[in-house]
Amino acid sequence: MSATIPAPVGRLRAVWDRPAVRHGLLALLTAAVLLFPFVEGDDADIDSLANAAAYVALALGLNIVVGFAGLLDLGYAAFFAIGAYVYGVLSSFQVLPAWSPFWQPFAALHLVEKINQGGGDLVHFTLSFWLALPLAAVVTAGCGVLFGAPTLRLRGDYLAIVTLGFGEIVPIVARNTPYLTNGAAGLNGVQAPHLFGYNFTVQATPYYYVGMALVALLIFTSIRLRDSRIGRAWMAVREDETAASAMGIDRTRAKLLAFAIGAAFAGAVGVFYVAKLQTATPDMFGFPVSVMILVMVVLGGMGSVWGVVLGAALLSLLQSWFLPDLSEWLHTLGAAIGNDWLQQIDLARSIELIFGILLVLMMLFRREGLIPAARHAPSLDFAAQHVQGVQRGGFDGELAATALALPEPGRGNLLEVRGITVRFGGLTALNGVDLVVPAGGVVAVIGPNGSGKSTLFNVITGLVPADSGSIRFAGAEILGLPPHRILAKGLARTFQNIRLFANLTVLDNVLIGQHARLSTGAFGAVLRPPRTRAEEARALARARSIIALFGNRLAPRAAQAVSYLSYANRRRVEIARALASQPKLLLLDEPTAGMNPAETLELAEQIRSLHALGLTILLIEHKLDVVTQLADTVIVLDHGEKLAEGRPDQVRRNEEVLRAYLGRAAREALDAA
Amino acid sequence: MPPDSGLLLEFRGVNTHYGDLHVLKDVSYAIGRGEIVALLGGNACGKSTTMKTIMGVVRPTSGTVRFEGAPIERLRTAERVRRGIAPVLEARRLFPRMTVLENLELGAYTRPRGPEYMEDLERVFALFPRVKERRSQIAGTLSGGEQQMVAIGRALMARPRLICMDEPSMGLSPLLVEQVFDIIQQINAQGTTIFMVEQNAAMALAIAHRGYVLQTGQVVLSGEATSLRENPAIREAYLGELQVTPAAG
Amino acid sequence: MTVADVYLQQIINGLSLGAMYALLALGFTLVYGILELINFAHFNVFMVGSFVGLGVLRLLGVMPGAPALAGVALVAVLLGTLIVTMLAAGLLGVAIERLALRPLRNLRGPAAMITTIGISYILLNVVLLSLGADSKNFPNPLPSWTMPVGGAVLRLREVLIWLVSLALMAILTWFVQFTRLGKAMRATAQDAEAARMMGIEVDRIIIAAFFLGSALAGAGGLMFGLYYNFTSYIIGFTAGLRAFTAAVLGGIGNVPGAMLGGLIIGLIEALGGQLVSASWADVIIFSILVLVLVFRPAGLLGRVAPNKS
Repeated sequence: MSATIPAPVGRLRAVWDRPAVRHGLLALLTAAVLLFPFVEGDDADIDSLANAAAYVALALGLNIVVGFAGLLDLGYAAFFAIGAYVYGVLSSFQVLPAWSPFWQPFAALHLVEKINQGGGDLVHFTLSFWLALPLAAVVTAGCGVLFGAPTLRLRGDYLAIVTLGFGEIVPIVARNTPYLTNGAAGLNGVQAPHLFGYNFTVQATPYYYVGMALVALLIFTSIRLRDSRIGRAWMAVREDETAASAMGIDRTRAKLLAFAIGAAFAGAVGVFYVAKLQTATPDMFGFPVSVMILVMVVLGGMGSVWGVVLGAALLSLLQSWFLPDLSEWLHTLGAAIGNDWLQQIDLARSIELIFGILLVLMMLFRREGLIPAARHAPSLDFAAQHVQGVQRGGFDGELAATALALPEPGRGNLLEVRGITVRFGGLTALNGVDLVVPAGGVVAVIGPNGSGKSTLFNVITGLVPADSGSIRFAGAEILGLPPHRILAKGLARTFQNIRLFANLTVLDNVLIGQHARLSTGAFGAVLRPPRTRAEEARALARARSIIALFGNRLAPRAAQAVSYLSYANRRRVEIARALASQPKLLLLDEPTAGMNPAETLELAEQIRSLHALGLTILLIEHKLDVVTQLADTVIVLDHGEKLAEGRPDQVRRNEEVLRAYLGRAAREALDAA
Repeated sequence: MPPDSGLLLEFRGVNTHYGDLHVLKDVSYAIGRGEIVALLGGNACGKSTTMKTIMGVVRPTSGTVRFEGAPIERLRTAERVRRGIAPVLEARRLFPRMTVLENLELGAYTRPRGPEYMEDLERVFALFPRVKERRSQIAGTLSGGEQQMVAIGRALMARPRLICMDEPSMGLSPLLVEQVFDIIQQINAQGTTIFMVEQNAAMALAIAHRGYVLQTGQVVLSGEATSLRENPAIREAYLGELQVTPAAG
Repeated sequence: MTVADVYLQQIINGLSLGAMYALLALGFTLVYGILELINFAHFNVFMVGSFVGLGVLRLLGVMPGAPALAGVALVAVLLGTLIVTMLAAGLLGVAIERLALRPLRNLRGPAAMITTIGISYILLNVVLLSLGADSKNFPNPLPSWTMPVGGAVLRLREVLIWLVSLALMAILTWFVQFTRLGKAMRATAQDAEAARMMGIEVDRIIIAAFFLGSALAGAGGLMFGLYYNFTSYIIGFTAGLRAFTAAVLGGIGNVPGAMLGGLIIGLIEALGGQLVSASWADVIIFSILVLVLVFRPAGLLGRVAPNKS
C-alpha cells in the first residue's frame, strides 16, 4: 500500500523470496508444531494451542471471503455455528426419532444405532467425526451460497450489514428450536472422535494434532487458490467489479464461490470445535465471534495467508496465555505492594476492548496488516526506468501473431448495432444509433465530450442496458447478455478512464485478461492436476509474450503494481489485458488520451499492426490525425445521435459535423473559403 | 485591492501528483485582469487538474499559485472562494435534488445575506430570464442548457473576480454552446476574468483573448488567441484535423 | 383486555419503540447521506447516551425509587437532562469523527467501517469494564399518570417519548430544509466536491452531521432509560441494528425515510412479537432488512440505489 518499502523490510523480503529459505522455515515450523506436545507436558497449554488452531482455521476461511474476494462478511460465525450443529445434532442424544426399519441401512453404515431408553426403540445418531468434517463443509458451503446470493448486487457496506443480519439470525434460530439444539442450554454429550478405535475423549493432544492438520490443509488450500485462475478472479472482483466482469469474469460465480469456500472452512472448523468441547450453545457463535475473527484477519493482513495465520495465532494466544499470565503477575505485584486494584485486575476480561483498540489502530496506522498481502516489486530505480527508447513501426508481426493467436477475422459484418436508445432518467444518452463494423475493419467514433460515445461502448459490452434496439455480434444477438459472456464471445475493451486492477501487477492484470480462455476451477486450482499445470504455464507464457509486445515500455515492469505506472503505460497495460482475451473485436476508448505526440504515434502504429494481423477495431478517439490514419469509417456522434458517417475525408467536410464539432470559427473559415 | 502587475492569477512552476502519477509538470500560467483565457488540450492532459489546483482541491507538490499577487496554494477552497474565485464545474454538477434558487443561494455561501445578495440574484435573473422562471424547480429536472445557465449563475452569486470554467460546452447543442459563449463574453465585459478549460478549441479561441495548450501535463504552446488560431501546430493538433484545408491528408 | 385491546396496547408500545428507533435511525442516515459510511459506533453512542442520562438524573438528585416530580421541576429536570445528554453524545460523535474517522476519509474500501466497529467495541467495553455487566435501574421522575385508550393504557412515558421525538424531528427537518448550514449539509450529501467548490467547509459539515446524529442517539438513549426503567452496556447492539434496519427501510440518507422506517420497525417489533413470538422478532426484522436491500435497495422513500459499481 505504501509506495516506498523501507530497506530492512526489502532485504527481509529478498531473503524470504529465496525458496530454500522458505522451505527451510516451513520445515522448522512443521517440526516445532509436531514436537510441541512432547516438549510441553502441560495439557492446558496444548489445549490452548488446539483452540488457537480452530481460530487460525476460521480466520483462513474468512480471509478467502474478505481478503481475497473483498466481501466484508460480518456474520461469518453463522457458518461456524451451522457446521458445529451439523455434527452436534448428528452425534449426540438430542434428537431421537422412533426406530423403524428405515434406519436399518444407516445402522449398518454406523451412522445411527438403535437404543432403548425405557420406552420404545429410538434412533441415536452416531455420525463419525471424520465423515462429519466433509459433510459439514458441504452443508455450510450450500448455506454460503444461500446467504451470499441475495447480497451479490449490494455494494460492500450493505453486504456487511446483511451478513451481520444472517449472523444474528442463525444463533437466534438455534436458540428458538430447542428440540433440535436444546436451545440456550446447549447441546450436550456430543461424542468425541474415534480414530482406529482410539477415543479422543477430553485429552488435548489428539485435538491438537487434528487442529494443526486442519490448519495445514487450509493453508495449503488457501495458497493454491490464491495462486490460480480462481484467486486472480477474486482479486479482480475485489479491485474493480465492473472491469472484472468486462474482462470475462462472472462476478456472481466468483463471489458465490468465495462465500461457499469460506463457509466450508468454517463448517469444518465448527465440527472440530464442537467435537473438542463436546457441547454447543448459541452464544458460542454470536457477533463477538465474527468480530474476533475479523480482527484476526485485519491484524494479520487482509488477503495475506501467512499474515492471517500469525494474526489469529497471536490473538488467540493473547487471550489464553498472555493475558491470564500477565494478570497473575499483576496480582503478585499487587500483593507485594499492597495494591487492591492490581490484585483484582483480570486482563482476559478486557480482550474485547483490546480487539476494538486493535481494529482502530490497524486501520489508522497499518491497514495492510502485520504481513502485507501485496508482493509486487517496488518502483523501478531511475536507471531501469530510463532504458526505454521510443519504439516505432508497431509490433513485431511474427511475435504478435504467436502471442495473440487471434481468431480468423471472418467475413461480413462482425458487429451490427441497430437503433440503440439509452435513457438515463430524463436524459437520452443515445437515440436510435446505428453502427456497423465490418470484419477486419477499423471504425472510429468521434464526437464532443458528452455526446454518448462511451455510453455506446458500455451498451455494446453489456455494462449499460439499452431501452431499445439490437446488437448483433458475428450474427448473434448480444444485447442483454452479461458483460463476461460478451467478452467470451470475442469483444474486449479498454476504458476511457482506465480501469485496471490497480493493486495487482502488470502480469496479473494480463493473466486476468485470459480468464475466459482458461478453464481451471476450484478443485483444479487446489489439486493442480497436470492439465491445470500445463494450462497455467501456457497462460503465463502468453501473458509474458503479450507484455513483451510493448517492449521496454512494459516488459521490465511486469512485476510492478499497476498503480506505479505512468498514464501512458497504464493505457498500454489495458490494451495488453484486452488482447489477452483473444478478442475478435477490440474496442478502444480513447487509447491515446494522456499520451504525447511521440507516444500517440507509437500506439497508432501498434494499433495498425494489430489490424494487419486481422483484428477488427472499433475506437473512440479525439485526436483526429489518429482517426484519419487508422480508420476506414468514421462515425460522428452528437447529443446521442449519429450525425454523420463516412470515410475520414468525407466526414471532415461534412457541414453538420463542422457545426457540431467546431462551431463558429471553423464555419467562418469555411464560409471564407 | 493590493497593487500588482495586473496579473489576477499566476501559476509558476506548478507540479502536481496523484500518488506516483505526475500530472502537471512544471506548469506556468499568467492570467491578467479582464481577460478570457482558454486552456486547451485533449482528455487526460491535465486540464481538470489545473482547475482543481486553482480551487484547492488538488495541492501542488511544488511551485506557487498566486491570486491577486498573494500566494494561495496553501489556502483552503473556501478561503479561495471568499477571495473571489468561483468555479463552473465540468458537467455542471448542480445539486440535483435542490431547487434552482437553493443552488444559487449555495453559490453565495461564503457571502453574507444582505442587499448585495439580492443585487446579485437580480443580476443573475437579468442575465438568465429563464433561470428566474425556473427558480423553484428542482435542479435535476432542468434541461442541459438550463443547468449550464444555473451553473454559471451559481458562480456569479459568489461575486467572483475570476471564474474558472471546466468545459462549458460539454453536452450542449451547437446553438446552446453559442449562447453560453455569448454569455461568457457578456460576463467578461462586465469585468469578470474568465479562465476556461475547453475541448472545443475553435470555439474557445473565438472568444478568448489568449490561450494555453496543455499536453501530457505540460504547456506546449501559448499566446494570443488570434495567433494560436493561425498556428499550424495547433491546427494540426486540435483544430486542423477537421479544418477545411484543400487536399488535406 | 380483549384481543383488540391487546393489539391497541401493542400499537402504543410500537409507536414508542418506533419513535426511539427513528431518533437513532436519523443518525445513521445523516452520516451515511454525506460519507456513505455505515457508522457502527452509533450503536454504542446510543448506549453511552443512556448512561449519560442516568448520570445526569442522579446528579440532579433523581434516584431510582425517588418520588415523582411534577410541574416546573419535572420539566426543568427532563429538559436539562435531555440537553446535557444530547450535548455529551453529540460531542462523543464529534470526537469519534475527528480522531478516528477523518484520517480515513478519502480511502476506498472498508477501512472506515471497520474502524467504526472497533470504536463501537471500545465504547461498549469501556462501559462494561468500568460500570459492570449488571443492568442499572434508571431513575424515573415521571408521575404515574395514565389514560385509558379503549381497553389499552397510555402512560405518561409514552406521551413523553412521542412529544420529544416529534419535537426533535421537527427541529431537525427545519434545520436541514431551511437553515444555511442545513442547506450546505444537503448540498454536501448530494455532491461533496461541488459543495466544497462553493466554499462550503466540508469538514465542518461532517462534524455537524456527526454531532446532530449522535445527539439524537443520546436523546434516544435517554428515552430508552425512561421507557424501560433500566439501562445496560448491552442495549446498543440490538437497538442499533433495528434502527439501522429502519434507516434502510425508509431509504438511507433520507431524513423523512428514517422517521417512517423507525415507526414501521417499532410497530413490527411490537405487533410481530404479539403475533408470532417475541423471540422471533429479530429474525423478522433482519429478514425485512435483507428483503428490502435485495428487492428495494433504495428503501421506501429513497431515490438512489445503494449499489454503485
